[in-house]
Amino acid sequence: MTITTTSIEVPEPQRVRDFVMPWNHTLSANGPAANAARALGPWHPQEFMAECVETIPEAGGLKTFVFRRLDGAPLAFRAGQYLNIAFPIHGEDQDPVDRSYSISSAPTSPWTFSITVKRDNGGLVSPWIHDHVEPGTVLDMLGPVGAFHLPDVERRPRYLLLAAGAGITPIMSMLRTIHALPGRADVVVLYHGAAPGEFGFAKELEYIANVDDRIQVFYSLGDRSVPENWEWMLGRLTAQMLEQVAPDANGRQVYACGPEGYLNHAADLLRKVGVDDTSVHMEFFSGDRKTLLEYQEEISLAEDLAEEYAEEAAEQTNHFAETQPAELQLFQPAATDIDTEAEVEAEAVADADTDAPVDDSDFTSVGEGTLTLSFIKSRIKLRIDPTERILGPAQRAGVRIGANCQEGMCGSCKIVKISGEVEMNHQGGIRAREIASGKFLPCCSTAQSDMVIDA
Amino acid sequence: MSITSNPSRTSRGKLSSTVPAEQLAEIRELFEERRKGFSLDAPFYTDPTIFGMDMQGIFQKNWLFAASVAELPEPGDYVTVEYGPTSLLIMRKDDGGVNVLHNVCRHRGARVLTAPSGSTGNLVCGYHSWTYSPEGDLIHASAPGETEFDKSCFGLKKAHSRVYAGLIFVCVADEPPTDFDEVAKIFVPYLEPHDLGRTKVAYQQNIVEEGNWKLVMENNRECYHCDGHPELACSLFPTWGLTEGIVPSHLEEVWDRNKQAENSLEERCRRYGLPYEVVEELDTRIAGIRISREPLDGEGESFSPDGHRLSKKLLGNLRDFRLGRCSMHLQPNSWFHFLGDHVITFGVFPINEHQTLVRTTWLVADDAVEGEDYDLDKLTHTWKQTNIQDKAFVELCQQGAGSPAYEPGPYMKSEYQVEAFINWYVQRMQEHMA
Ligand code: FES
Ligand code: FES
Ligand SMILES: [Fe+2]
Repeated sequence: MTITTTSIEVPEPQRVRDFVMPWNHTLSANGPAANAARALGPWHPQEFMAECVETIPEAGGLKTFVFRRLDGAPLAFRAGQYLNIAFPIHGEDQDPVDRSYSISSAPTSPWTFSITVKRDNGGLVSPWIHDHVEPGTVLDMLGPVGAFHLPDVERRPRYLLLAAGAGITPIMSMLRTIHALPGRADVVVLYHGAAPGEFGFAKELEYIANVDDRIQVFYSLGDRSVPENWEWMLGRLTAQMLEQVAPDANGRQVYACGPEGYLNHAADLLRKVGVDDTSVHMEFFSGDRKTLLEYQEEISLAEDLAEEYAEEAAEQTNHFAETQPAELQLFQPAATDIDTEAEVEAEAVADADTDAPVDDSDFTSVGEGTLTLSFIKSRIKLRIDPTERILGPAQRAGVRIGANCQEGMCGSCKIVKISGEVEMNHQGGIRAREIASGKFLPCCSTAQSDMVIDA
Repeated sequence: MSITSNPSRTSRGKLSSTVPAEQLAEIRELFEERRKGFSLDAPFYTDPTIFGMDMQGIFQKNWLFAASVAELPEPGDYVTVEYGPTSLLIMRKDDGGVNVLHNVCRHRGARVLTAPSGSTGNLVCGYHSWTYSPEGDLIHASAPGETEFDKSCFGLKKAHSRVYAGLIFVCVADEPPTDFDEVAKIFVPYLEPHDLGRTKVAYQQNIVEEGNWKLVMENNRECYHCDGHPELACSLFPTWGLTEGIVPSHLEEVWDRNKQAENSLEERCRRYGLPYEVVEELDTRIAGIRISREPLDGEGESFSPDGHRLSKKLLGNLRDFRLGRCSMHLQPNSWFHFLGDHVITFGVFPINEHQTLVRTTWLVADDAVEGEDYDLDKLTHTWKQTNIQDKAFVELCQQGAGSPAYEPGPYMKSEYQVEAFINWYVQRMQEHMA
């Protein structure tokens, strides 16, 4: 009789499959992250001052303003988020006017960052920005703000990015981010503009679409009249248009930014082509009172958080300063509120360490040796030598432990240690997983330190 | 059965393999006289001797569905399955493959592992603690005073296994049928895109139906009774199993909708390179199979009232939720629905001539979060209800088979798959008895 057992499901070494933001590693690491990496983490909103270092005129009445923080720190944010900026429109001695602008640069190049502003001649702020903000201008900023951003890690990085007019700004940030990072991705951009010359970032978009085969860009000319040499799509967003650029839209995450009317219309169409509501993310840059109030709330929450963090940071900087070269102090971010699982576990163990041998007055002490094993269920303290296997002395002292093979094969003696170290020579009676969760086989283990054992 | 001049040790002492000649002749005759296109005579559903022969002729000879890899995700994880008297344990190895061992201790025959599933290092029999490695080798047996005890003679018996597209199949025959690997070549391309290796068990249901295993299978192979499945009717086209000429007038509208849905599904499948054609070899080969990708009603994504997805995380590297259902029927004991958002596996485990365990397992992407990406009650609702309804149908038939008035009835055109199943069964049993 020939028995064949096939092993077909051997896991292959995997290439990078998921799309991972660089800071995700920092988010999930147990130990304190390196400071530079920490600074890149999109931890929390801050209030800071930034200096304009460059302005770049863009197509479509847009202008990009490049800034750097006065404190020299990089700006940590997630692609798609915005800043709330105070503009001293009425002079330095009057109250500034606050406005929110999406960040158009990518968090992967964090030492400078940009906003891109469309000039609206009827407006109060945007013409002022276009005319007055220039290299050297210093502004008060709050950020990053906003829940409209790419996820930190994504197993299925398939996106449909919809932009109308100046709505391209946060979409541009997302696109630049994805382009800058390795990993699988499948991105379709559909960008609506008013006239052929009015598509902001057109050259860069063309470049990215050309060199990055993960990214496709489509343009459509709103509902305006058409010049002869226009080769792209025409007309407002339709279900047909969505089907055409992304027939698999219903399996994508959709990020859309533009004026209110456009977004409401898009929401209807997306539903029609089968995109689940929970897969649609939208950023309104104009909106009804309700939308605007929501943004206000977001900003005031960000303000509160920023204050809290600033206080914490100030405290920390004091003792941090003692150990760090002076110029690094600026980089010290506030404590994060993101507790990784590992950290929580480590804490739990630490707790157990300190309060495990609580009230040991009713423990019976037996044996002689240099180490003490406290069996908390049996209320026995066993003194043992580091060369002795634990099982025998423990059983003789009255600890109830089942055992059979005495060779680390059968697993019947398996118990849990709460603290302390053992050296174990097992033969398959225990799984790596179980060892990681604190179990060990006393029949084939010797103690390496004092121990507290759950038996 | 081929008689070898030198019978292997394993067949010694099996009284059940020798049904008295008279009774065997009678049973042979029942098989020979089976009227094509009609249900089987009552004893096939009620007689313990025939059940015993089914176990030998079908369940100890063919490739059987046992579990999916999602049920034993990590090294050391195991499940135990039982086909009539056979108990197997299926264990995930350290290298990622699976081992299939007979769950019968080589000391005095106790079940080695008694839980339906779990995780273990070595395998320790609960009776006298004989300890086997995950490969089945006996590595420890306390033997005070024994001098001539050779552990190497008492390893757990092994069975054959195959893992295809994340589904685990077993065969306890010495020489398993060879066409299963060919059949795998047919179904793997359909199933692999759903990537079962990256799924998890969202829910598993075990129901014991008071019915012969063949009645359970027959019931699954037709949708003539689907009026009795109001929940399922929302997403499954009730025209299933019908062909152009035989659509009743009250279903014409549904038929048209079904056609349209079929066209758009085919277009999607072509776009993503997913196979969808029907392959049907239910009784023309030993590893009988039917597989196809078919549209679902409504939004066409899942088994929900409106056809909308039930889990928000797409499986594998699928790009689209609207992929209908890729359904597979395998003889003798399984069927499957592979959707964009989840997979349901159905395994049939005979207990005795009038009881059968039906195990239904719902799998979702392993990063889907319960309560966030899927609601467990909604995910399982349609098939939980459908299973209860089917259980009732099967039990009605079992009662019928036991009554003196029962005689075989005709399978209708839409029940051609039932006929194919029975025809497959009769062929295999006749080969077995030959
Ligand atoms: S007694 Fe068998 S592993 Fe310890
Ligand atoms: S029957 Fe298994 S050890 Fe005795
Ligand atoms: Fe049914």
